[in-house]
Amino acid sequence: MDALNIAREYDTVQYIVIKIGEEQYGIDISYIDNIVRMQSITRVPHVQPYFSGVINIRGEVVPVMSIRVKMDLEPDEFTNKTRIIIVKMENNAPIGLIVDEVREVVTLDERSIDEVTHDRKVDETYINGIGKNGETLISLLDLNAVINEKDNA
Amino acid sequence: MDVSQYLGIFLDETNEHLQTLSDQLMILENEPENEDTINEIFRAAHSLKGMAGTMGYKRMQNLTHDMENVFSEVRNGKIKVDGHMVDILFQALDALEEYRENIAENQDEGTNENEPIIKELQAILNGEAASSAEEASPKAEEGGDDAKASAGSDDSASGEEKWNDIVLHEPEQHVISEAIKNNQKVYGLTVFIQDSCILKAARAFLVFKALEELGEVIISEPSVQDIEDEKFDFDFSLYFVTDSPLDKVKEAVMSVSEIDHVVGDEIDMDKAKIANEDEEEEAAAPAEDAAANEPGTEPAATTAPAPTAPAAKDSKGADSKKSGGANKPAVNRTVRVDIEKLDVLMNLVSELIIAKNSLVSFATSDNQGAHTGFNEQIEYLESVTTNLHESVMKVRMVPIESVVNKFPRMIRDLSKKLNKPMELHMSGEETELDRTVVDEIGDPLMHLLRNSADHGLESPEVRKERSKSETGQIYLDAYQDGNNVVIEVRDDGNGIDTEAVKQKAIERGVITPEQGEAMSEKEIIDILFLPSFSTAKVVTDVSGRGVGLDVVRSKIGALGGDVSVKTKLGEGSTWTIRLPLTLAIIQALMVVIGNEKYAISLGSIQTIEDVAEEDIKYVEAREVINLRNTVIPIIRLRDVLGVEGERENDSNLVVIIVKKGDQLAGLVVDELIGQQEIVIKSLGKYINCSSHLISGATILGDGEVALILDANVLI
Repeated sequence: MDALNIAREYDTVQYIVIKIGEEQYGIDISYIDNIVRMQSITRVPHVQPYFSGVINIRGEVVPVMSIRVKMDLEPDEFTNKTRIIIVKMENNAPIGLIVDEVREVVTLDERSIDEVTHDRKVDETYINGIGKNGETLISLLDLNAVINEKDNA
Repeated sequence: MDVSQYLGIFLDETNEHLQTLSDQLMILENEPENEDTINEIFRAAHSLKGMAGTMGYKRMQNLTHDMENVFSEVRNGKIKVDGHMVDILFQALDALEEYRENIAENQDEGTNENEPIIKELQAILNGEAASSAEEASPKAEEGGDDAKASAGSDDSASGEEKWNDIVLHEPEQHVISEAIKNNQKVYGLTVFIQDSCILKAARAFLVFKALEELGEVIISEPSVQDIEDEKFDFDFSLYFVTDSPLDKVKEAVMSVSEIDHVVGDEIDMDKAKIANEDEEEEAAAPAEDAAANEPGTEPAATTAPAPTAPAAKDSKGADSKKSGGANKPAVNRTVRVDIEKLDVLMNLVSELIIAKNSLVSFATSDNQGAHTGFNEQIEYLESVTTNLHESVMKVRMVPIESVVNKFPRMIRDLSKKLNKPMELHMSGEETELDRTVVDEIGDPLMHLLRNSADHGLESPEVRKERSKSETGQIYLDAYQDGNNVVIEVRDDGNGIDTEAVKQKAIERGVITPEQGEAMSEKEIIDILFLPSFSTAKVVTDVSGRGVGLDVVRSKIGALGGDVSVKTKLGEGSTWTIRLPLTLAIIQALMVVIGNEKYAISLGSIQTIEDVAEEDIKYVEAREVINLRNTVIPIIRLRDVLGVEGERENDSNLVVIIVKKGDQLAGLVVDELIGQQEIVIKSLGKYINCSSHLISGATILGDGEVALILDANVLI
């Protein structure tokens, strides 16, 4: 019994830490296909407001979404640090997310991740956990919630 | 045997054979005596059966087998072709088609046994059985020229009565004694199958089937299981309980083709081998063995054919490894390519490599004169890539034949169902279209044809009154027109009664009477394409549910084409489908609006005009221009697309005149860049363009993304 406890390793997940406004968010690294610098985005008329447009990633047309607009924050201000994170969920097509800054990669084990409890019916949330990295807190993005449309939208 | 790798070929060939069968049956219906046709049918049915057997699709095999039997009798002149028979055969074809679809979807033929059809087929066969019974036995003797088979008439030839070797156990003995008590006869039979027979198991199966109609098979040697698995030579023996006389039993067996001869006699319980204790034990062991094997094979014979189940699993495993997709169809879509087309491709690729190499050498030498050479090489490269594009497109092209071939049959059925004589004339079946388009075009065409047959053509009586020939004529013509392929469905029927349409539309509240007054004939016809609008007074299962025409339009729209109709009351209608030759690469005009670039497919552009601002007039508060005596509404793309900023004041507007069917519209843009070949890319499913204005995107030479405007939506 003791041996089992000692041998037990906690599952760890690597997150890329990004900054949107003053807050730090983590994105599970396994979903990330690529991180590119800000580039010219082709606007697409008559689409959901949080879609900034499309970009060309190695010959593929990839839609780009503004997390800021989706979260009802002020619109993006493009700086030298702005990046587009290309995420790819399982078999779905890639999609780009505009972030203010990409900071680092952290490894969190399950002990340092707290589930967030929230009432999905009332709150709309894009977070599925809080990670503690030393003194700093990282909100872990629920990519499915970010990317997919709300059912009642 | 894992046959899944042959599945693609099997499906393709099955398709071909089914098509041949269908075509030839149509001919046969009109010329029942045509020997070539009968032979052709027989061959197709035979190959089909063989293929199904090899692939382990037992139900398909059984059905084709029975069909083949019928054809074989027809070929031998034993039965005459009649309408009823053709109907049944067509039903059988439909059933085969269903098997094929099941197999294409999940590699399993399904569990539909199609008993009624098989019964009907056998009824046709048995109908002639009485008359051919006498012929059957001489036939056996004919075949019996071989010394071995001469026993066809000599039942008691020793050594052939193999049924005497069957070991009877307790239960069988019991059944036999019961039967004798009930005054039933018990026969021992040994059936010999012709040496040339390929599908012994199928023949044996039919023998059993025929016998079971007369009585009950008590035991057989080898066992039924082994016979089904073809684990026997060319004969098998059995005990059989029945009320019928021996002759009748033999006759039934002989009615199955490829049976060489059969010997049989009433059994003598004293002579029959009664299993003693020792033997019983011995026999029990193999029986257990067989039972142990059973879960693997036997249950499958009754529910799903065993060979297919593991095969399906195998390839599904492979599939999921590759794509991870669960609902992917089991079979990849394929195109058969002429080897010459591939050779051309190969050559072009070599040229491409040469072009690349010379570019590399220019890049490394910094010779001053290199510049002109460089341009030459670019031009060369351009011509190679253009040719390459054309060749690849050609590889993807398939004739629409594969789709339209099923229509004559459909019209034939409709003709019977609707009780209207009609003929379908087709031309241009060889016209080629992209494979993806050909796959999708079938349904819309079918809708239009059904529509013509049901609504278009009048009843024979009305036709007579109108001094038209009683047989309605429907035409299906396909031809290439520039970068488009045009498919026309034409009938000489009643045409569209626009007044009736208008009344109906008002009745349904689609339009107000005032609107109706103001509407042109064309606009009224457009109502027909609205969802759930049908003018048919009676809903038939052919058409008239109002789901047809809007589906036709949306489907064809999805393929980048459009559909229009011309009609004249009392004389008929012509439906015209216009499709782009290819989907992936198009010629487009690049334009600038604000600081954004857009592409407009060249296919929809008529002309480009320079229009002075003051030439714009207003009609009903909409901007129009009068261009060579045609009034054309103009659309300012800047407003429609919500492009920011104001256009610099310029007295002249660049107007692109686009066309959809007969409708024209002028699109105002800021600047023209020029014509360019563009590769269409999808925007993906995340972006949801509410107005459908954007049909896709393309990547320009500088890596920037430009959107493709769908002019059809604007008009």
